Amino acid sequence: MTSLVDAPASVQTAIRPPAPGRRRSRRTWPIVALLLGPSAVLITVFIVLPAVYGVWLSLTNTQLTGFAARNPQFIGLDNYTYLLASADFLASLGQTGTFLFWSAIIGQTVLGMVAAVLLSRTWVRGKGFFGAALLMPMVVPEVVASLTWASVLATSPEGTLNRLTGLFGADSTAWLQDFPMLAIILVNIWRGLAFAMIMFQAALEDVPAELIEASRVDGASAVQVFRYVTLPLIRGPVFLYLLLTTISTVGVFGLVYFLTRGGPGGQTTIAAIYIYERALQFSQIGIGSAASIILLVIVLVLGVVYVRLAKVQV
Amino acid sequence: MKRTHVVAAFTATMVVAAGLTACSPADGGGGDGTDGPVTITIVETKQTNIDAIGAVIPDFEAAMEEQGKEIKVELIEDILTDEQFKTKMTQQLVAGQAPDVLDIGESMAVGWAAAGYLHPLDDYLDDWDGWDHWYPEIQEALTRQDGSVYTLAGGASVQNFFVRKDVLEEVGVDTSQPETWDELIDRLIEVKEQTGDTPIVIPAGTAWGGGTWFEGFQPLLGGTDTDYYDRESGTWDLESEGWLPVFELYHELVSNGLLPVEDLQNPNPWEPTKYVKFPAGDIQVAAQGTWGWRFDWGPEGATPIEGLDEKVITWQYPALRDGDRTYGWINTGGGYAIPESSENKDAAMEFIKFLTSGEALAEQLAASGAASARDDLDDVAPYSNEPRLLEAGEDLAESILVVTGDGTDQIGQAVATATELILSGEADGQQAYDAFVQDATELLGPSLVKE
Repeated sequence: MTSLVDAPASVQTAIRPPAPGRRRSRRTWPIVALLLGPSAVLITVFIVLPAVYGVWLSLTNTQLTGFAARNPQFIGLDNYTYLLASADFLASLGQTGTFLFWSAIIGQTVLGMVAAVLLSRTWVRGKGFFGAALLMPMVVPEVVASLTWASVLATSPEGTLNRLTGLFGADSTAWLQDFPMLAIILVNIWRGLAFAMIMFQAALEDVPAELIEASRVDGASAVQVFRYVTLPLIRGPVFLYLLLTTISTVGVFGLVYFLTRGGPGGQTTIAAIYIYERALQFSQIGIGSAASIILLVIVLVLGVVYVRLAKVQV
Repeated sequence: MKRTHVVAAFTATMVVAAGLTACSPADGGGGDGTDGPVTITIVETKQTNIDAIGAVIPDFEAAMEEQGKEIKVELIEDILTDEQFKTKMTQQLVAGQAPDVLDIGESMAVGWAAAGYLHPLDDYLDDWDGWDHWYPEIQEALTRQDGSVYTLAGGASVQNFFVRKDVLEEVGVDTSQPETWDELIDRLIEVKEQTGDTPIVIPAGTAWGGGTWFEGFQPLLGGTDTDYYDRESGTWDLESEGWLPVFELYHELVSNGLLPVEDLQNPNPWEPTKYVKFPAGDIQVAAQGTWGWRFDWGPEGATPIEGLDEKVITWQYPALRDGDRTYGWINTGGGYAIPESSENKDAAMEFIKFLTSGEALAEQLAASGAASARDDLDDVAPYSNEPRLLEAGEDLAESILVVTGDGTDQIGQAVATATELILSGEADGQQAYDAFVQDATELLGPSLVKE
């Protein structure tokens, strides 16, 4: 049996009684408080308290207009039961899921990966041009991007896309009416592609070249190398990106609001639009808050799933 | 002390001082200007109103100075749609940060007055002989459910159908007043067959926002049924007999391809319909208030129609059911209001009285295209030089008005959603009505629905 006295110096250091550490922490806590305090205060004031207030509002029948605005009442879980039985709200969650799956998970992630892999190839020429072209949508402010696409997809023959299809003799198409969900999905892919590409490019650079070369020497094809060597090595960044893009896509509002306002016929009323309509247009803050909390819970669940799948620390 | 420290201390002091200055009122605040200078603010969201109000502010300030009152007016120009304005101003009212004078529509007046955001004007009106000049029906329209007046409108609009007479004559369709909807639909089908256009626009669906109820559905409903709102109990009768025929009318117009469905489902549906197709003659009939003569299609309007007076006539709403008559619909109930949070209520009321009287009112009415709500304005220029508006003023007495109360926002929302179902082909009239009843019942809650 090894006594503490007999143990090497390094071990002794490791199992040293905690008293001196506590003394040091007592000495350092003011500086820790000074450094972390402002952040903690800001997070509490601007995130925690509004979130708690949001939860409280979701348990009331608070309205911004009408007699009900004068005397909001605590109504328990009524807003939640109303929403979970509301076909409109459930439809908005479904549309959010469709929008998220096709634009963020499939579109941005897959195309971003393809762009990153292609741009990492030595034989590709004009990388600077392609990289810049893909980065442009990320740089453009959301409002400008939305107005640009509203012009591209305009119903009239003067719309850019209608002009292009008109060159081939096609009639004008009301893109935002006939294909509203497809339109906002494509625009969101266009807008988020650059961020995915940048993240995946950075991850690909960290994959050891010798591993790739070794697998090629062993006879693996390019697809096999990507599937069995590259992808497992960049799993962390991929899931981290999925987490980030899920959060940001579920929160997309301006893009859809400017292009379709949730229409036509509610076909693009994603959850963010539903919440805006309820809380601000129809002044039903209680219901809007409850819808926000439900959405928050869904995103948290998705986030936990991603983190578990990635086995990474966030 | 080091020089840099002195500079830093000076800068910090200036920043703090500037911050504190910004937080303090711009002047003494309160009063009607007799005890010191008062600056009041008013927000306008339409260029026509901005120009009209901006033009009369110097006259008001001079008039007040003659009375020994130092009142200045700051005009906040903020071009917004009605929906955007409503959303934005609701936040400001909740925060107590709204301007001293608001120029608002009926839906805002109802919802905000009920919520307690607006200051009742009764005491001011009791002491003002000008109030006696308002037509009694307009006074009634301005009186909210609790018996108080919160908004003062100097003008009123009569909602009718504006008709492109020139286009109808060109295709050989009768331009006389249609007596019934059957007659009107027959004519619209004839126009459609000859032009291929969707010939009529009536606000419908969710994209038109509150306008679907106030400018589209309610004028149709009110002409055939005035019992849908019970003022005594402050409740909505969702089983009143007029609802279903109006939903069926919408469905008939859609199924005959007479309404521009795609345009109505677009964001800002009034732009392709009222600002593009009607001026171009591609929509021949449009549900429209008096302001169409100036604000929409007048020489200084959003999209001027050259030769407007020769090309465009108005039809009253035809009868929807047996026994109904043709009618115009009075659109008012909004106007100028003072937020409860205003610290300059007396001065704000002075400005409102000025804006709703004499030449200042005559200029606004002529600019925006509204009939006078007062009985003493017909001889005041430039309003007296506007035969269309004077005619609309005469129509006021014979037009229909149903005063409603709390719950208009919810009713408007349910109507918009139900008519959207018709536009998208998901429902006929009966199905849309059923969806409306279910939706409205949920939104209004038991206290606002008639048993």
